[in-house]
Amino acid sequence: MWYRSASCILDKRRNDTVLIPETRPATSSASPMASENPHPQQKQNPDPHISLYYQTRAAHHAVVTSDWLAQAQAAVGRHRDDAVSDNSSAGGEESGNAFSVIDEFNNWRKQPDLAEAVAAIRALASVIRSSQATTMMELEIELKKASDSLKSWDATSISLTAGCDLFMRYVTRTSALEHEDFNSAKSRLLERAERFGEISYKARKIIAMLSQEFIFDGCTILVHGFSRVVLEVLRTAAQNRKLFRVLCTEGRPDRTGLRLSNELAKLDVPVKLLIDSAVAYSMDEVDMVFVGADGVVESGGIINMMGTYQIALVAKSMNKPVYVAAESYKFARLYPLDQKDMVPALHPIDFGVPIPSKVEVETSARDYTPPQYLTFLFTDLGVLSPSVVSDELIQLYL
Amino acid sequence: MPEVNSLVNEFLIKLKKRKIEGSKATAKLTAEVLRSFISQKRLPHTNQADALIEAVKAVGEELIDANPVELAVGNIVRRVLHIIREEDLSLTTAAVGGLSLSAESDNEDDVDQDDHPVLSATAVAAAARSTLRPPSLQTLLEDMPHSTAVPQTSSSGGDSEGKSKSADKNLKTRKLKHNVIEAVNELIQDISTCHELIAEQAVEHIHQNEVILTLGSSRTVTEFLCAAKEKKRSFRVFVAEGAPRYQGHALAKELAARGLQTTIITDSAVFAMISRVNMVIVGAHAVMANGGVIAPVGMNMVALAAQRHAVPFVVLAGVHKLCPLYPHNPEVLLNELKSPSELLDFGEFSDCLDFGCRSGSPLLHVVNPAFDYVPPNLVSLFITDTGGHNPSYMYRLLADYYSADDLVVRRRSAS
Repeated sequence: MWYRSASCILDKRRNDTVLIPETRPATSSASPMASENPHPQQKQNPDPHISLYYQTRAAHHAVVTSDWLAQAQAAVGRHRDDAVSDNSSAGGEESGNAFSVIDEFNNWRKQPDLAEAVAAIRALASVIRSSQATTMMELEIELKKASDSLKSWDATSISLTAGCDLFMRYVTRTSALEHEDFNSAKSRLLERAERFGEISYKARKIIAMLSQEFIFDGCTILVHGFSRVVLEVLRTAAQNRKLFRVLCTEGRPDRTGLRLSNELAKLDVPVKLLIDSAVAYSMDEVDMVFVGADGVVESGGIINMMGTYQIALVAKSMNKPVYVAAESYKFARLYPLDQKDMVPALHPIDFGVPIPSKVEVETSARDYTPPQYLTFLFTDLGVLSPSVVSDELIQLYL
Repeated sequence: MPEVNSLVNEFLIKLKKRKIEGSKATAKLTAEVLRSFISQKRLPHTNQADALIEAVKAVGEELIDANPVELAVGNIVRRVLHIIREEDLSLTTAAVGGLSLSAESDNEDDVDQDDHPVLSATAVAAAARSTLRPPSLQTLLEDMPHSTAVPQTSSSGGDSEGKSKSADKNLKTRKLKHNVIEAVNELIQDISTCHELIAEQAVEHIHQNEVILTLGSSRTVTEFLCAAKEKKRSFRVFVAEGAPRYQGHALAKELAARGLQTTIITDSAVFAMISRVNMVIVGAHAVMANGGVIAPVGMNMVALAAQRHAVPFVVLAGVHKLCPLYPHNPEVLLNELKSPSELLDFGEFSDCLDFGCRSGSPLLHVVNPAFDYVPPNLVSLFITDTGGHNPSYMYRLLADYYSADDLVVRRRSAS
C-alpha cells in the first residue's frame, strides 16, 4: 500500500496496524501452504523474509545464460518456487481471474530479459484475452481488479505498479479506442500489450544512444548494482570504441556488482571492483556516476538498490554528475518523503558468521535518492532533469 | 540560383572571420539568409517538405561549421527546420481534413511513387503530429498508423483527375513555400522585437530603491533597465566593467545619459559590492538545454558571488538564444580564445611573447577566453520574450520551438 501525500501517513499507520496481523500471519511458521492460508484470494509470499521482487532477481542471478529463456519456459512449474505455482493453480480453479493473472505475471517475470513492467502488461493482456466481457466498461472493471490484485500481490515492485498504472491509463483514456467496436478495441489493446515488450527493448536502445555523448574518451564511470539499461549504455559505448574505465561496486548483499563486472569484462572494458564502502575513497578519480533505477518517483528522485543514496551524496559533495538510466515506464506515482516512507523491500544478508539473535539486522534492500542529488535522467523520452519527471506524470494522470 | 549561393558564401565568410558578432545580429542574418535560400530553392513535386528540409540541413551544416561557437546560428537553422515541418503538417492536415480533391489525388500520387499504403486521414494527421511532438509517457503505448491503413482502392483516381492534379500540386508547392517564408518572416520579426517584449516585464522585477548589478554590456539589459526607468522606478545600477572589453563603460555612459544613478566597479570588486545588491541582471550568449548559461567571461564569478549572498541571479535571453544541446565540457568546447591584444599592449611585452623569444617556446602566454559557463543551479530566473522561467523549465520551451529530429543537424552521410 502506497501513500501519496503527507496526509495519508496517518491513514497508513492506522491501516498497517490493522492489516499486518491479517496479511502476514505467523512469519515464524514454515512457508504457508494454500490450505493453511486464511485468505485464499490474497496470495502469500512463500518466504516473507525476502520480498518477492528479490526472489525473482535471485533466480535470475543464479543462471545467466542466453538460453535461459528457453529453459525457463520449459521449466515453468518445476521451478524453485513451484510451491507458488502449485498453490495458485489449485487456488485458480476456485476464484478465477485474480489468480491466473498473478500466475501469468510470474511466468513472464521469470524471463531475465523481460522488464517487470513488460511482464505486468503481458499479464494484463492475458486477462483481456481470457475475458468474457462484452463491453468496454466490463473489461475495464475486470482489468482494474486484475491490476489491483497484481499490485497488492507484490507491493515491493515499483515497475510492476507503474506498468499496471500505465496500461490501465491507456485502456481508460485513449480516445482511439472510443470510436471502435468492442472486438477491434480489444484486439488493439492486445496488440499494444504484445508490442510493449518491443517498446521496452527499444527504450533501452534509445537510452543507450542518448547517453553516448555524455561518455567522453578517457572518463571513469562509477556504477552501482546491476542494471540492464546501464549495461546497455556501457555496451553501446564500448561498441562505439569509446575509451573509458568502469568502477563497479560489489553490490552487497546480492553481489550484483560482481555480475556487472563479469559482463563488462566480457566486453573488454577495463573494470575495477570496489567494496561498497570504498566509494568515497575512489570518488576523486570518478568522472560520472551511472546508476539504474527500480523506480523513478514523482519528485524526480529514484528508488534504487541500497547504497545509491550514499553514492549520490558523495558524488554531490565532490561535484560529480550522477546520471540515472531508466525507462519511462518506471515512472511511478509515488512521493516518498524520506527513506522509511516506502514499503520496505526485504533482502536477507549473509554475514558469513552467525549473528546473535539480539542483534538486529537492517534487511531493507533499497533506498530513495532525492532529486537534488541527481544530474540527469536518461529515459526514452529524452535526457530529462529530475523536475521533468513530475511534469510527465502530471500530463499522463491528470 | 547563383546569387543565393553567393549570398550564403558571403555570410559564411563573414561568420568565419568573426565579422558578425552578437547572437542577435547573427540570428537575424541567419534567418534572412535561410529565407532567401528557401525562396530561391526549386522544389520537386513530391515530398517537397523532405526535400526542403534536406536542403536547409545541408546549408545549415555549413553555417554551423563556420562558427560553431555562435550557437544562435544552429538555433535558427533548427527553428527554420521546425517551421518547415510544422507548415507541412498543417497543410497535410488541412488538405486531408477538408477531403478536397487535391488532397485525395495527392495521396494517390504518393502511393504511385513510394508504394506506401494510403493512410486514412486521421492516421496521417496523427502520425505527422506524433513526429512533431516530443515523446511522452502519454504516447508511449499509443499506436503507429500501420494498424489503421485502409486499402489502396479507397481513393478512386481516374484519368480525368490528371489535369487538376498537377494544377493543385503546383498550388500546394507554392503554398508550402509561401507559408514557410511567411513563418520565417515572423521569426525574424520575433528576433528583432524580443528586446521590447523582455523590457516590458522590467517593472515586475525591478522595484523602487533597489540596487541592480550587471556585468559587461548587453543590449537586452540596457533596454530592460531603461524600461524600468521610464516607468518611473528609481533604482541604482552597479556596472562591473567587464574586462577585457570594458563594455561596461559604454553601458554606464548610456545609463547615466538616460538619468539612472550608475556606479562603475571593477570585475574584481563584485564580491565586495554584492552584499549591497538586491538583484543581479545579466545578458547571455546562449542558454543551453539544461538551463546552463554561456555568458561573457567573468559571469560565473558574479553568479557565485550572488549565490553566496543569496542575491537573485536573473538572466535575460531572447528565445533565439535558447539552444537545444547539452553542454559537454563547455569551458573548452563552447569557448573562443580572443586576441591577446585586448589584454596586453604588444609593444611592452614583445620581449617575452612569441616573436621575441629566440629559444622557440615563449615564456609568457596570454589566454583570453570569451565565455564563461554558468551552471543552471546558480541561475534563479530566466526572462525571455515569453515570460519568466525556471532553469529546469527550459526543456519545455525547447519542445515548443524545436523538433527532436533536428537536434543533430549534421546529416547521417557526413558523420
